[in-house]
Amino acid sequence: MVIVAGIYAYAPAIAVLPFVSFLVALLVGRWLPRKGALSGILATLGSLGLSVAMVGNLVLTGEGYDETMYTFVETAGTFDLTFGLLIDPLSAAMLVIVSFIAVLVHVFSLGYMNDEGEPGLPRYYAGLGLFTASMLAFVLSANLLMAFFFFELVGLCSYLLIGHWFREEGPPSGAKKAFLVTRFGDYFFLVGVVGVLATFKTAGFAGENGFPAVAERVLSPEASAEVAVDTFGFEPATWFAVLGLLVLGGVLGKSAQFPFHTWLPDAMEGPTPVSALIHAATMVAAGVFLVARMYGFYALLPTVLAIVAFTGGFTALFAATMAVVKNEIKQVLAYSTISQYGYMMLALGAGGYVAAFFHLTTHAMFKALLFLGAGSVIIAMHHEEDMWLMGGLKEEMRVTYLTFLAGSLALAGIFPFAGFWSKDEVLFEALAHGLESPLLLGGYLMGLAAVFVTAVYTVRMVLLTFHGDPRSDLAADPEAVRWNVKLPLSALGVLAVVAGFLNPVPIQTVTGVHVEFLHDFLDNAASEELLTSAHHYGDLTKEFAGYSTGTVAGGETATVLVSGGLSLGLAVAGAVFALRLYGGADPARHTEKLGGLRTLLVHNYYQDEYQVWLAEGLTLGVARAADVFDRGVVDGAVDKVSSVSLLSGYGLRRLQTGIVTNYAALISLSVLALLVAFAAMGGWF
Amino acid sequence: MLIEALILVCLVGAAVVAAAPDRLAGRLALAVSALPVGGSLYMYAAFDGGGNALLGGDIAYETFFQWLSLGPYAVNYHMGLDGISLPLVVLSTVLTMLAILSAWTPVDTRQSQFYALMLFMEASLIGVFAALDFLLWFVFWEAVLVPMYFLIGVWGGPRRKYAAIKFFVYTNIASLVMFIGFFGLVFGLGESISSTGLPEIAQALRAGQLGALGPVGPEALALASFLAMFVGFAVKVPVVPFHTWLPDAHVEAPTPASVMLAGVLLKMGTYALLRYNFTMLPEQAATLAVPIAVVAVISIIYGALLALAQSDLKRVVAYSSVSSMGYVILGLIAYTEFGIGGATFQMIAHGLISGLLFMTVGVIYNTSHTRMIGDMSGMADRMPVTAGVFVAGAFAYMGLPLMAGFAAELFIFLGAFSSTVLPAAPLFTAVAMFGIVIVAGYLLWAMQRSLFGPFELEPDYEVGRAPLHDVAPIVTLVVLIVLLGSVPEVFWGMISDATVDLVATGGELR
Repeated sequence: MVIVAGIYAYAPAIAVLPFVSFLVALLVGRWLPRKGALSGILATLGSLGLSVAMVGNLVLTGEGYDETMYTFVETAGTFDLTFGLLIDPLSAAMLVIVSFIAVLVHVFSLGYMNDEGEPGLPRYYAGLGLFTASMLAFVLSANLLMAFFFFELVGLCSYLLIGHWFREEGPPSGAKKAFLVTRFGDYFFLVGVVGVLATFKTAGFAGENGFPAVAERVLSPEASAEVAVDTFGFEPATWFAVLGLLVLGGVLGKSAQFPFHTWLPDAMEGPTPVSALIHAATMVAAGVFLVARMYGFYALLPTVLAIVAFTGGFTALFAATMAVVKNEIKQVLAYSTISQYGYMMLALGAGGYVAAFFHLTTHAMFKALLFLGAGSVIIAMHHEEDMWLMGGLKEEMRVTYLTFLAGSLALAGIFPFAGFWSKDEVLFEALAHGLESPLLLGGYLMGLAAVFVTAVYTVRMVLLTFHGDPRSDLAADPEAVRWNVKLPLSALGVLAVVAGFLNPVPIQTVTGVHVEFLHDFLDNAASEELLTSAHHYGDLTKEFAGYSTGTVAGGETATVLVSGGLSLGLAVAGAVFALRLYGGADPARHTEKLGGLRTLLVHNYYQDEYQVWLAEGLTLGVARAADVFDRGVVDGAVDKVSSVSLLSGYGLRRLQTGIVTNYAALISLSVLALLVAFAAMGGWF
Repeated sequence: MLIEALILVCLVGAAVVAAAPDRLAGRLALAVSALPVGGSLYMYAAFDGGGNALLGGDIAYETFFQWLSLGPYAVNYHMGLDGISLPLVVLSTVLTMLAILSAWTPVDTRQSQFYALMLFMEASLIGVFAALDFLLWFVFWEAVLVPMYFLIGVWGGPRRKYAAIKFFVYTNIASLVMFIGFFGLVFGLGESISSTGLPEIAQALRAGQLGALGPVGPEALALASFLAMFVGFAVKVPVVPFHTWLPDAHVEAPTPASVMLAGVLLKMGTYALLRYNFTMLPEQAATLAVPIAVVAVISIIYGALLALAQSDLKRVVAYSSVSSMGYVILGLIAYTEFGIGGATFQMIAHGLISGLLFMTVGVIYNTSHTRMIGDMSGMADRMPVTAGVFVAGAFAYMGLPLMAGFAAELFIFLGAFSSTVLPAAPLFTAVAMFGIVIVAGYLLWAMQRSLFGPFELEPDYEVGRAPLHDVAPIVTLVVLIVLLGSVPEVFWGMISDATVDLVATGGELR
């Protein structure tokens, strides 16, 4: 692939365009009519167009792209550090998702920020531009090091945007927490990046020379002696698992998985469009995308896969239970995000590469929709977020209500909305592979239980917000929203209904019609050549992780139906349960009957408390003790020594009365005295 | 003769500025300081050196003539630059110019003397990095102390006398220890050297020509000299536990002096460690690899924890220098291309970044008249550009990719991780890297409390936007930091070229 195949020459522009919009908003935004919104929309539209062109080109030609663009540093004898672009089905599809959501978020921001007369708009649009650019560059990264670079920049942008309203107390605190918690995860990630480079002398993702392929050759039973990597004295399998877990630290941080999930609810302090971007397509998605990006490496490591699956399943259930008791609409959505990314991790750990990316795609659509819908409600409610002060909004806000309902049904996994298909596939993968592995099965069972809880909190949210009688004056007379709010909602509303038909596996199983479009795309010829195909990953999990597909009730078709039926049944049961509880004109606060359990859930299982204690109690305590020690003992010793030495006390006081020449003389004299002494010793005279 | 021209411009400029009236001194000094910047950038552009100046590489801008002779030793006037020293000279000239500009607002007494001392210090700093003869180098090394002593002692804060004397005496005693250590080597080499030239001594030592000195055998002598020089330079760096002069000096020093102290003077210590200990005595360094790495890791973590405990913004930045310099030591002891190259790169990167943060704290102090984090809140409301620069500087310090600090730290981590000289290198590296979490903790926390939230200021000063000559230098530094972090090849090529000879030896050590 020496010749740059036509369209790929424009690939860098996908990330550069939003970067230009960042510069425009930062430098001249204050003089622009919409303060940088229009340049942002144009830039992201350009990125979207190019991303779609990339997908089209992949489908039509089956040619991918994996080229070094820039040498960061060249070395004499170690290894060069480079930046490059990798365009294969996975990255191209992700580019479309990211740029599409970015366009809608920019448009929505016209309504949420400009129309509401918020200050600091150039700064806001600069942040959005840089955020989008960083995420797109991260997706395009051809190697782990470059991915880390932009992973961190994504973190910076979320810090800046979460803390946008810096004049208040909450946002700066939430921003700090988001960056600090994810930085803790990124510490492990960076150790992992350094370790990967030190081990493989390359961090490339794809192709025969990429580190996953090298690791595969090292681990394969017929490994030849010529494949030599430095495993620092460990067994290769052990060392690779260590590296995989280290990188996973960054993933858990960014994707808000247990125990690093605590930053995400606090990140709700940022403007709502930013939340949509963070949750659907950028920051949180980055973690899961990274696992998918280097799945060729993870597929070799059964222990790590099991940990990924179990953590994911646990997080899915754990976060869903907390969402049930939340009263603020954005808080419910925040916990639902944590929970949904748990499903993606479950799928990845269970060998369901396609299922994970499928759920990432549908989730991006319905979660962006839900956040923008919540934003619309928040505009209408004059920035009141408590659902107990809402109610009855469906009459006044038809577009918002209908689209939000579509997004909610998708989230709850109700047939035939998008989330049903993808969540079903995730659970199917976990079940089919979990029949052979108890840890996976545990993940599956927790994921299954979370389906019920998800339906409960989702329907509760819809009912409290839109149904019943208005519970406040604000809700009785909501502010109207304009086209710039309704347009993004409508686009996403349609997708929340239909996106599931990208890959409706059960239809294929039952009818035999070939409809696995996403699966086929991820198995495209380009990905086969770059060794990033779903098919290849399936082989790897079989060969190296020992994954085999189990069945229940006697066959694959039956397994698909049992799995789908179980999850749909639980979702419907949860929805009906919530409908019974909150369906009336004036619903009661049922969660208060939970007593001690509610207290535990409202306090988020006291996760924040112990993490704050780690930071403020322990670390700061140790720091203060170190400071006392430093001033008293270390510096005290210095003062003690100087007080008994000749050059101190009285002597020092005499020294400081001097003028320049005194000091110059002192120095010259001391040097001279030394010289004479040495000369005498050395016998120069 | 370009180096000499630079030094001469600074010295003549210092004399002229000293004689000028106070109200003109600032502008005059800025104009003078622009000349060495131009000169050093020209030297960068026209650099034709290669290899390490001490190990037989091609020395750029070399000047050599007989100066005096002491017994059997010729002391020569020998100056020149290689890929290690040239970036440091550029750093010195650029930072001096920006520091002079940043002094316009805070320095309001005896300006002509202040700026003259700054220019005199610049001349000495160029000399330190360019000198290739020990005694010549030592003269410059000591000459740097004098202006810094006065900058702290005359224009400093309330406890300036104590801080200035502590700085002067502490570092001077360290110099004496180092001096003794070095002359131990000179005498041990005996007849195998004929001058005090650093290249000759380095090459003789690496060729194993060190003999016994009296009853002390060559190996014991080398080890003792290594330790004496290490301790001497460690005070300058500073390395824990020799760091306590630093926060006192920084807190009392006026902003421009802090900028120079953190930005360039600390690098004298690491530069000397590289030139002397790690170039001349690699085997001793390898023998002491574990204790040195322990000291480095302690400096990183302990320094960062101390920064976390401070409530004075300037002390926060001061202690964080201890932490950052620990990375340099870790990179040096790795003895790999990325390790030593990264350590050198970190000297430049940290010079720019710490200079930036000290200047920004200074700009805030100029209007708020306080540096205590508890006294202010929401400063970003009144000083948006300054606050923006502070955020940029803080993220640079935290190691944000595409900024210089991350490039340097990444190189050091890569180098240290695969070190063959240091046992359990991955473990040492991983522990040291935890510094990047603590640094994020204290800087984010400090920013949250001082820059954000509702605007409040304890002493009720009128706070307005900072003047252009306060903002210009900090914005310039941000641009330079991003440039160096995105295109590290600006300096990496020459640094790697000048350090690779050291690494070859390091590789053979085990």
